[in-house]
Amino acid sequence: MILGLARPTAGEISLFGLPVNEKNRIKLLKQTGSLIESPSYYGHLTGAENLQIIQTLKGCSKKDIDKVLKIVRLDEAKGKLVNHYSLGMKQRLGLAAALLGFPKLLILDEPTNGLDPAGIQEMRELICSLPAEYGITVVVSSHLLSEIDQMADHVGIIRKGELVYQNTLESLHTHAKQQIALRVSHTAIALDLLRQDGICATQEDDYLLLPMVDDDYVANLCRQLVSQNISLYRIEKREKSLEDIFLSLTGKENSL
Amino acid sequence: MNRHTSFGKAVRAEQLKLKRSPVWLAFIALPIISAFFGTFNYLNNIEILKSEWFSLWTQHSLFLCYFFMPALIGTYCSYLWRLEHTRHNWNSFLTAPIPLWALYFGKLTQALLMTILGNLWIFFLYYVCGRLSGLDSPFPKNAASWFLFGTIGAVAVCCVQLFFSLIIRSFAIPIGIAMAGGILGLLITNKGLGLRYPYSLYSMGMRANNPNLELDISAHLSNSAAYIIIFVALSVFYLRRHEISAG
Repeated sequence: MILGLARPTAGEISLFGLPVNEKNRIKLLKQTGSLIESPSYYGHLTGAENLQIIQTLKGCSKKDIDKVLKIVRLDEAKGKLVNHYSLGMKQRLGLAAALLGFPKLLILDEPTNGLDPAGIQEMRELICSLPAEYGITVVVSSHLLSEIDQMADHVGIIRKGELVYQNTLESLHTHAKQQIALRVSHTAIALDLLRQDGICATQEDDYLLLPMVDDDYVANLCRQLVSQNISLYRIEKREKSLEDIFLSLTGKENSL
Repeated sequence: MNRHTSFGKAVRAEQLKLKRSPVWLAFIALPIISAFFGTFNYLNNIEILKSEWFSLWTQHSLFLCYFFMPALIGTYCSYLWRLEHTRHNWNSFLTAPIPLWALYFGKLTQALLMTILGNLWIFFLYYVCGRLSGLDSPFPKNAASWFLFGTIGAVAVCCVQLFFSLIIRSFAIPIGIAMAGGILGLLITNKGLGLRYPYSLYSMGMRANNPNLELDISAHLSNSAAYIIIFVALSVFYLRRHEISAG
């Protein structure tokens, strides 16, 4: 919608302090670069020729072509036909095209789609370097939470077209609940013991789940259990993953 | 042309896209084939075809105007849009910081350029074949009018075909429309309705098969203009409403 590729059914969008509409379309597109899912390219042309087309349309300097080719490490393959590029190279060419003119905002939709692990890592490193080196704000949309976890500093979660969460990634992580999980030979006796201590524990499968308690309490608890001839098999610290937080925000029923 | 205007940028971008595209070869080759058969027919029937240059033109123009040229224009227009229909290029095409009308006119300019050059080539071949066939009389002055009104008609065909190729993702279907359009033009022209039909505007402007035709110039011009305006407007309107569905 920001790029004008889809129209909002209701509501308004504001970008760089301007409403996104037909009147401001060109002005806003000039400050925006985008790579939407799959890279756009003309296969019968070389990488450099593809960028020359975008450079002509954007009206930016010709020197930018070499600069962006270097950033995405395609400077050696710039004379090769894009049809002969690997998917990762095409994706990097797409990023180079989006970077031409060094826009203020870069919109990347699933930028690592279809890439192999090495390609994903390379793309991720590139994207992470852009805000610091060129002062570009990068908006990445992705279904891969681990990817976002490694790239973003601000996150938004969209459920059925509605923004259900927006804040820093750090703040999202504080939603992560830490727990101590215990596995013992006599669960019922251990549960009683905990209740006597005023600890609200729950049973899940073979485990007892305790809220986060301090180290001294854990040490004391171990001694008590052993003194009552209860065997202690496991003590684990558990943390809710980003995925769990995501599911608790969006609701599991939506995951299928 | 000023390369810094939106239109200039769009034309330049389209030129760059056409690099290494052999599609223009068809514009060279098909008129040669048509001229060859036309001249061959003329020389074989020279006893009946006594009007020299005019007779040669009837043989040159028949297949060319009703069949080859509409198909050629259709192919070229399809090729121009195929560049965007494939490889997810709509995303990049529509997010270029250029007004959509300029992007469209960038394409139209390429199509018109090729069509006009193609038409010039046809007349050049006509001249060369005439001389090679031993026609010593001067080249007919009327040919200037055939070229002018033929080209105006071809511009109308270009606008129609560019619209079909824009809205139809398939490469072949718009070419099929062009071929059917051209052939149907023969029937429609014979019924006397040619000036209302875009593909006949080309063949009638060229005086195809009928160099003595008294062309109703004002009707030809106004109908060509109407087709051009309508199909340019439809195309730009379509581009403005075009939405990319999420892959």
